[in-house]
Amino acid sequence: MPSLRRDQVGWLLAGSALTLAPHASHLPPAISALCALLLVWRGFINQRGSRLPHRGLLVVLAAGVVGAVLLEFHQFFGKEPGIALLAGLLSLKLLETDSLRDARAAVLLSFFMQLGQFLYQQNMAIAALALLGTFASIGTLLALQGRAEAFAPRAAAAARLLLQALPLMLVLFLLFPRVQGPLWGLPADAYSAVSGLSDDMRPGDIARVSESAAIAFRAAFEGDPPPPAERYWRGPVLTRFDGRSWRPGPSRRQDQPFYRSSGIARPYTLTLEPHNQHWLLAMDFPGPADGLVYGDDFRLLSREPVRNRLRLELVAHPATPVGLAEDPRTLREALALPPGFNPRTRALGEQLRAAAGRADDIPALAIRHFRDSRLAYTLAPAPLSRNDVDSFLFDTKQGFCEHFAAAFVVTMRAAGVPARVVTGYQGGEINPVDGTLVVRQSDAHAWAEVWLEARGWLRVDPTAASAPRRIDGGLAAALPDMARLPLLARSDLPWLRALRDRVDAVNNSWNQWVLGYNPARQQALVASLGFGDTGWQSLTALMAGSCAVVMGGLTLWALRRMRPGDAIDRSWSRVCRRLAAAGHPRHAWEGPLDYAGRLAREAPEAAPELALIAADYARLRYGPTPADTALLQRFHHSSRKFRPR
Amino acid sequence: MPSRIARRLTDAASRIILGKDHAVRLALACILARGHLLIEDIPGVGKTTLAHVLARLLGLQFQRIQFTSDMLPADIIGVSVFDQRDASFRFHPGPAFAQLLLADEINRATPKAQSALLEAMEERQISAEGQTWRLPEPFFVIATQNPADQIGTFPLPESQLDRFLMRISLGYPDRAAERALLAGEDRRELVAHLPTELQPGELDSLFEAARHIHVGPRLLDYVQALLEHSRAGAGFSLGLSPRAGLGLLAAARAWALLGGRDHVLPEDVQAVLPAVAGHRLRATGDTPLGPDALARRLVEAVPLP
Amino acid sequence: MTASRAAITGTIGARLQRWLFRVGGPEAGPITLGQRRIFVLPTGFGLALALTLLVMLLASINYNLSLGFALTFLIGGIAWVSIHHAFRNLVDLTVSPGRSEAVFCGEAARFGVQLHNPGLRPRLGLQLWPRGGSSDETAFDIAPQAGTVHFVAIPTHRRGWLQLPRLHLETRHPLGLIRAWSLFQPDQRCLVYPAPAADAPPLHHAGDAQPGSAAQGRGRDDFAGLRHHQASDSPRHVAWKTVARGGPWRTKEFDGGGSQRLWLDWQQLPPGTGTEARLSGLARWVVDADAAGIEYGLRLPGLELPPATGGAHRHACLAALALFEQPTGHAQPAS
Repeated sequence: MPSLRRDQVGWLLAGSALTLAPHASHLPPAISALCALLLVWRGFINQRGSRLPHRGLLVVLAAGVVGAVLLEFHQFFGKEPGIALLAGLLSLKLLETDSLRDARAAVLLSFFMQLGQFLYQQNMAIAALALLGTFASIGTLLALQGRAEAFAPRAAAAARLLLQALPLMLVLFLLFPRVQGPLWGLPADAYSAVSGLSDDMRPGDIARVSESAAIAFRAAFEGDPPPPAERYWRGPVLTRFDGRSWRPGPSRRQDQPFYRSSGIARPYTLTLEPHNQHWLLAMDFPGPADGLVYGDDFRLLSREPVRNRLRLELVAHPATPVGLAEDPRTLREALALPPGFNPRTRALGEQLRAAAGRADDIPALAIRHFRDSRLAYTLAPAPLSRNDVDSFLFDTKQGFCEHFAAAFVVTMRAAGVPARVVTGYQGGEINPVDGTLVVRQSDAHAWAEVWLEARGWLRVDPTAASAPRRIDGGLAAALPDMARLPLLARSDLPWLRALRDRVDAVNNSWNQWVLGYNPARQQALVASLGFGDTGWQSLTALMAGSCAVVMGGLTLWALRRMRPGDAIDRSWSRVCRRLAAAGHPRHAWEGPLDYAGRLAREAPEAAPELALIAADYARLRYGPTPADTALLQRFHHSSRKFRPR
Repeated sequence: MPSRIARRLTDAASRIILGKDHAVRLALACILARGHLLIEDIPGVGKTTLAHVLARLLGLQFQRIQFTSDMLPADIIGVSVFDQRDASFRFHPGPAFAQLLLADEINRATPKAQSALLEAMEERQISAEGQTWRLPEPFFVIATQNPADQIGTFPLPESQLDRFLMRISLGYPDRAAERALLAGEDRRELVAHLPTELQPGELDSLFEAARHIHVGPRLLDYVQALLEHSRAGAGFSLGLSPRAGLGLLAAARAWALLGGRDHVLPEDVQAVLPAVAGHRLRATGDTPLGPDALARRLVEAVPLP
Repeated sequence: MTASRAAITGTIGARLQRWLFRVGGPEAGPITLGQRRIFVLPTGFGLALALTLLVMLLASINYNLSLGFALTFLIGGIAWVSIHHAFRNLVDLTVSPGRSEAVFCGEAARFGVQLHNPGLRPRLGLQLWPRGGSSDETAFDIAPQAGTVHFVAIPTHRRGWLQLPRLHLETRHPLGLIRAWSLFQPDQRCLVYPAPAADAPPLHHAGDAQPGSAAQGRGRDDFAGLRHHQASDSPRHVAWKTVARGGPWRTKEFDGGGSQRLWLDWQQLPPGTGTEARLSGLARWVVDADAAGIEYGLRLPGLELPPATGGAHRHACLAALALFEQPTGHAQPAS
């Protein structure tokens, strides 16, 4: 087996390192460290020209990798252990690679690992890194095939190949018929990395979510964006309360809204980050739209969990009255309180009902009571006792939005008013760069809804009672201290915010055009190109046609005669071509004067003017330079006009 | 005008050597390229006359040696004789000390005598008894030789052949030329009364002009391709030496001068190729090829660049 | 039965190859590798990459990985572009027959094949091998507007003309994913001399008595006379007596029987020796006589080469042996 050259191993190591580096963000630290160690070791061996480690040692190391994976994941199946195993395998493979075959296998493995990285992240930095990794892998393949060469020419050759492949890649990317995955069942942990709201709520959950500055979704309004007080994005609606946690009640679903949309309409485009849930976080209250599901708790739902960035054209009708004819069972559910919890709050509720007289006045009374109680809005409330609502309202008086919402709902129910907790997002920021409203995880919020006879479900935000700026100015404005806020959500660093806005805008285009390129977008694109029928047949035909054009271009490029020659040569060979077509080809070895002389003898009628052209050519081609420009012009002119008979 | 002088020379020579325009022109080109000429043919076709004519026309001091099998090197280059009066050797220059030396039937001499002449041709000087004598300037050798298959001959080895820039043959005259030959005056008489065509210094200006004929890069490419093919291509078992390449170029320059051009064309190279390369190439295979067939084989295998 | 079947399949295979790869008989003159003569197929590694890309595509569909699509298509595009690179690396090359020196049977015939690159790009990673050869030939490059002579070694098994078999020129440039190749057969042949027999009778026994008749040559046995002195003459041959007497410098000349003239005769070999064995024996004698500097001639039934020395004569004799009773002009195919 021929051993590999130093430059070949160098390229291979560079490609593998570029491939493995981004995986460090999610691999168990032990595996990452082991991979790094193995790469450095192989680099050291390459530098020193020493021998590769003994096979026995590699077996031990491989056992180590398997053990580390098992220790971390307790299994081999699934995405994460699989990737971890592959990463270890690639690093180990490099350590035993000393033949062309092994090196090429390693390159294939690293292509696969680059794809693996996309399961975790697909942002621009990762894409750039993957491009760099592909470049290094192509450089590796070039080095494996060719002679030893310096870095610069090899890199130039690899870059040339990449550039030449770009048109084909674009055509395939845009026109390859996209199918909405998955084709088969995914491992259970396929989407474990996504964060956001969950199906139930315990005290502290929302606060935890809002510690992240990650973007939850973006909304681009066609007209002016709605005022902050309207920006309520509905997530899970929680009706069932067991004293500790809140859960959604039973809900009916249909493909039409459970209400008649009315009032002002706000059309917008929602670009939702994947959160692996069904709910779509539409702004209250979404109008009819195709292909979506409506819950009787006024949520907008998708049929599949949102596993990819999703782009929806929606219309919000904030002033729509909802729940006028609510199902009595739902109302019963919305009044239920678990026995034995929060006695003081229940007492407060009964007290409020007695004071109000009319049910319609109870919520306002409660809000006033909350405000008078001087409840503090904080991300880090003091620990609460078993009766956490009681504890919040009467003892610690510190809480985050979920505490406010939960306390308000319990109070309402005790007062006999049907009420429930709604989680979702509130607010968001307009990015001045592209005008989209960006809603982050830190905008996660919980509020309450009460049901009043003849008015239906009404939104009540008890947080607003003690921290009105939460609604108008976002979390950062409402909280007294900014210490625990994510850096990018802080408002005291304007340049940082400007930078963040810019990055967000670029990211948004990236998401829209690259990551969010789905079957629908593809169809829109094809339709915009003027192809009415956007079925897969016409798509395939279009793709095949475009590929044929690109490949035809490549073929022309490959066939282009890279022959030396200048205008004089071209003119002369044109003359010779025309004579050959007329049946008097020039022998390859025949000089111009001999050719003209032969033709003058053999076929004097065919080309009487050839003698002059040939003499001019001989003079220009072989004579002293620079030649007479008049002669040059005469030659070009007469050779252009030359037509043998 | 060097080209006009050259034209005058060829015309004058052709008036005496009838029907041999091409050979005469090649011989003249060989002289203008300052190369030695080997004429190979059967006796009596006018080899000697050609040499005479050239010497007369160019106004060169002429010497003739008839080579024989008992000839010794000293018969050519001269000999040192011990002079008893002053007890020292005195060098008596041989016939080689001439501007144009006709070495008749060179292959009749033994290799030793041949090599004495050929060394003189190459070095343009003669060394004997530890002393060196320069040969006159210019110095040309026109050697004639009988075809190799004649008996009692010592064919020149390849290394010696390489010293001749050209090898040409005259062949029988055609019918018209033969008639004119038969009907006309005695050639020898004509030669004896042939006036010198050149003014003093004109020969030098011709040499100078031939040396300065333009050779472009494209032509050098072509010559190189010819040389490479002769060395590596099929059909040749002995290729052209670098010296042959230089000679080819010099001969092509002289040929272009005779053609009245100031630059060399591939045609010029092809025209002189049989004479320049014919005695240097050897074909593979069982049948020996004549110089024309050899040169054609080479020319047709190499496309113009 | 099996033999005839093999012959039939062989014929069909040859026809198929001729139709598929457009190779007829040997071609004279420069062969230009036009686009119709160049064939392209993936290598094993290329197929492995294709499989990898397919898996990557399926994974991209399944997990809806937009960047996965992009990566897969990018690598696929590069692989496709490399087809054109491989093709471009061969197209327009010209092949012309080169030189091949005669060899003795059993030695490998070395055919020089001239490859010329008329273009402005270098041609990289080329491999050339004859039919039946292997692809682990070392790769070579051709610089722009330059040529190279590549030698192809063919084992020899028979005397006579050996035709250069069909050649295979291949490149896997640039990535090793694609092999582009062309098949051609330059009209080129090599003369194979009979192998000199190892057990031939020694040369000086080749004949009843001392073979051949002695001829006159310049030796150093018998004094023959004096001649003018030359600076290059050996001092031992200077007639010192004359010099001492004050006479001119003279050199003594001698005649000698030092050189022999030898006839190598077909009939001299023991009767009952087969034709090939005789030719081998004669080849051995020619080689030995040439090495010994003896003047020798060759007599074969129907052919006589007069005695001479030198490389050309040796070649003529050996060629006569090689082509003895062989139909002229027809080259045998390489086996």
